[in-house]
Amino acid sequence: MRMQTESALSDPISINKKSANIPFLVKARPYFIIAPALLLTIGILYPFVMAWYYSFTNYSFSSPTYHFIGLDNWIRMFSDEDFWHAFLVTSKYAILTTGSEMLIGIGIALLLAKSTKFTKFLKVTLVFPLMVAPVIATVIWQLMTNNSVGIIEKFLNIFGIYNFPWASSANTALFTAVLIDIWVYTPFVILLVVAGIQSLPKSPFEAAQVDGASPWFTFRNLKLPLLKPFLYIALIFRLMASLQESAIIFALTKGGPGDTLMNLSITAYTKGFQFMKFGASLTYILFLWFVIALISNFLVGRWLAVQKQAAGN
Amino acid sequence: MNTKRLAVLAAAGRNLILTIWAIFALFPILWMVLCTFKLDREMYSTTFFFHPTLDNYVNVLVRTNYFKAFFDNIIVSGGAVILSVLVGVPAAYGFARYNFKSKEFWAGQILGFKFAPEILVVLPLFMIYQKLHLIDTYLGLIWVYQLITMPFLIWVVRGYFEDISLEVEQAAQLDGYSWYQVFLKILLPLVKPGLVAAALLTFIFAWNSFMFPLILSGFSVQTVTVSSLKYLASDTVHYGQMAVAATITVLPEVIMALAIQKHLVRGLSFGAVKG
Amino acid sequence: MNQRHGLTKFVVLIVLLAMVFSLSVYGATKPAFNWKMAKGSTIKLMLVQHSIAEAMVKKIPEFEKLTGIKVEYSITPEENYFDKVTTSLNSRMGDMDIFMSGAYQLWDYAPAGFVEDLGPYLKNPKMTAADYDIADIYSGAIGAMKWDLVPGHKAGTGSQLGLPMAFEIYSLAYNKRVFKEKGIKPPKTMDELLAVCEKLKEWGGKGTYPLAIRGARNWGTIHPAYMSTYENYGAKDFKIENGKLVSLVNSPESVAMNEMWVKLIKVGGSPSWSSYTWYQAGADLGAGKAAMLWDADNNGIQQNWPGASKEAGNIAWVPQPLPSGASKNNSNLWTWGIAMNKASKNKVAAWLAMEYFTSKSYLLYASTVGNAVDPVRASVWDSAAFKKKIGQHEGYSDTFKATINNTRILFTPQPHFQETTTEWAANLQDLVAGKYKTVQEGLDDLKKKTDEAVKDVVIK
Repeated sequence: MRMQTESALSDPISINKKSANIPFLVKARPYFIIAPALLLTIGILYPFVMAWYYSFTNYSFSSPTYHFIGLDNWIRMFSDEDFWHAFLVTSKYAILTTGSEMLIGIGIALLLAKSTKFTKFLKVTLVFPLMVAPVIATVIWQLMTNNSVGIIEKFLNIFGIYNFPWASSANTALFTAVLIDIWVYTPFVILLVVAGIQSLPKSPFEAAQVDGASPWFTFRNLKLPLLKPFLYIALIFRLMASLQESAIIFALTKGGPGDTLMNLSITAYTKGFQFMKFGASLTYILFLWFVIALISNFLVGRWLAVQKQAAGN
Repeated sequence: MNTKRLAVLAAAGRNLILTIWAIFALFPILWMVLCTFKLDREMYSTTFFFHPTLDNYVNVLVRTNYFKAFFDNIIVSGGAVILSVLVGVPAAYGFARYNFKSKEFWAGQILGFKFAPEILVVLPLFMIYQKLHLIDTYLGLIWVYQLITMPFLIWVVRGYFEDISLEVEQAAQLDGYSWYQVFLKILLPLVKPGLVAAALLTFIFAWNSFMFPLILSGFSVQTVTVSSLKYLASDTVHYGQMAVAATITVLPEVIMALAIQKHLVRGLSFGAVKG
Repeated sequence: MNQRHGLTKFVVLIVLLAMVFSLSVYGATKPAFNWKMAKGSTIKLMLVQHSIAEAMVKKIPEFEKLTGIKVEYSITPEENYFDKVTTSLNSRMGDMDIFMSGAYQLWDYAPAGFVEDLGPYLKNPKMTAADYDIADIYSGAIGAMKWDLVPGHKAGTGSQLGLPMAFEIYSLAYNKRVFKEKGIKPPKTMDELLAVCEKLKEWGGKGTYPLAIRGARNWGTIHPAYMSTYENYGAKDFKIENGKLVSLVNSPESVAMNEMWVKLIKVGGSPSWSSYTWYQAGADLGAGKAAMLWDADNNGIQQNWPGASKEAGNIAWVPQPLPSGASKNNSNLWTWGIAMNKASKNKVAAWLAMEYFTSKSYLLYASTVGNAVDPVRASVWDSAAFKKKIGQHEGYSDTFKATINNTRILFTPQPHFQETTTEWAANLQDLVAGKYKTVQEGLDDLKKKTDEAVKDVVIK
């Protein structure tokens, strides 16, 4: 992957070289072809700037006027224990879901590597959960885990477990939400890792086999480094999404029971839309955005590095 | 002998784990389809044995304007994907081929806004849309949906472009092709697998979007995710009808996934198909 | 922003004046009320999925024919409905003209200036048909949507912020088959209810339980049975002190009530009580999982239509159990009504639609042909067709009649209703989960949070 990076730098159509001889239009070409995409995505920049602006005001849906209150919203947020609780829930949820999805995804993808009729069938069908909207997936799981007639309840009854509390107990609510998240999004990881495995060059593995290397050695020293770029992409997309997950939790318990599942997104949503304190809710979401930006920048940097490494192999 | 037995054992273990996972992943979908044939009154009193009925289908497909939402969803999700392809593929090429100031910064920005929490974006956007009269229009939704579709598409396709050797382009240029001819006739076919796979995956993400259509449309443009949940009314709950709506919502995605199943996995290998 | 708002106000005032003026001119030449007076305009309705809305959608063509007004509508799932309404109102663009609302939401919207006062329309004979007969609407229901916009003042006076279409009162629905088998009489007091719950533990095998009740983390848990009982214990939510709202949730009456409530849920409630909303509570009664349901009267009835559920036909109603010593059966109420966006550009047409969809003939249609079972008009309850329809539900009508006169909004109106009741529900979940050593300690905590939430409310 990206073997041509080096030559791209010195390529004749690169604009860095002999810049004096290159007409302006050619020189500006990369900006022209990238500009539309940037404009479309960064059209969002304006709302984003507005969000910062409002976070320094007492803007509320239930009051017609608002004014600057400086850092009040920010100070209040950082001194609110609910905020730290939400931060903790966000982290726990993101780590648990992304961690499990990566581990399960990699495991299943590795098992799918062997081509049989069964694995061919699975490669197509295992993607299906990804196609169900998360909100609807949550409703389906609620029906399945319903204590009256849920199919899973009946199944657990066989083992003598009755009335497993699922989302309704503080002890199991996080587990339930994570389970649904795993159900919906693990296929995404599987898909990417399967794609990665299929793109592996064959020759090094054949050589390793001839040398009698153990499967673990081959995996650890050959497969994993080559798969790393794929793993990073899966990790980046999953971690960023799970940090801001709201659809599943909102449909499941709206953040309850108590405030067990109140993560930053749900707290912001509740404060902003239901309590109508829009200005105050924006600090939560901007803080979340900041965390996400920080982590994604770091991970994208890592991805670029491992990609070069993999290409070097 | 021993190794053979070990191999058999390994195969059995592998199939066992895969079967367990397959049940976990696929059973809820089967369950959803099963629910489409259940009357509401049996939803809470039966599991597998019930009186199958087509009432839910009749109620959803004939008695409501579900199809309007369905086609609207195709227009906005498809529109967003098409827009992303038109705009994103050249951008991906630009990011892959050219070297310019703060390239990775801009690439990161496109991705970064994909990760901006939807709640952060949706309210200011609502206010702007209202001023621009984009509320409740196809164009408005397509514009916001491409936030979901474009970044991933650019990422995948960029990887493809980077893997095409420069000689290919140079040879074509020597043959007298202009740069956009090279782009259309030589490069595009080469990135097709990645493009198709990324387009499908992003179509799925756009198709299932909930927050944006909820706030930004409703009267003249409707989408299926919001419509499906309507069947959970505030005084009566029609799980069966919701299941019908959800099942039909999944159908186009399944059909497309089956149609391009070869591309799907290969295409996501970011061009790095070797050996 | 201040200035801009002032300007908007001014423009709105001019428009209103012009409208009233043109109306009066119109009225001078044509004194009678005329359904066609806003012919040619288009209005937008924002609806939530509900049987009353279903009936509305069916009647829209008829309304369009009668008035020459074109109607567009959107239906949103209830979970997210008010978020959408809030967003739309907040833009002040008048994108929608009419929206469905409850009373509590109007307490948020009205002080912000989002809601049109309907009083002048109702008083104007050129705007309101002679046969509209507002006195026919139960005073509890119409009063629920009236408020003088002063936080802390009770609902029932001031601006008419909306018109009710359907409402609900709270009562105890029970499975009479089970009660007969076990030889139990429906409980009249809280102590009796607790005793019945003890007797009915796992009454039908594993997985069954005595009493279905709401417990999810939102206002929906507080406003039905809980709030009614809160009042019946003599507890109040707020008092006004030095121009401020002060929470009374940790008063001795409240502690007594909450101790009872926690006991009730622990002994009689579903193990998944804390995730229970309207749906789950009602469905469990219908599925023969719960023996009783303490909730809105029209929740249980959805399970009792022939063929609607496993226990259909076995459900009967009695008034709510009371604490010992109490004699008056106070019930809170919820109403789905319609309100007008103050920023609407088609107010006359919007008003005609509101009038039409709260009229005698429409509500009779919605309750007899449609399935809206709690009409707000006495004339509908007295009609032969509705009596026949409702007569198959044992005790339903009697319970309604026994409760309606003491039915009113029991909350103190204030603009942070959503926040305070959400905290309230979360606190109740914590009490039941045993997070606090004593109920008093939990309620002290809740008082602190509630006072904090309403601290910016100034009462002039």
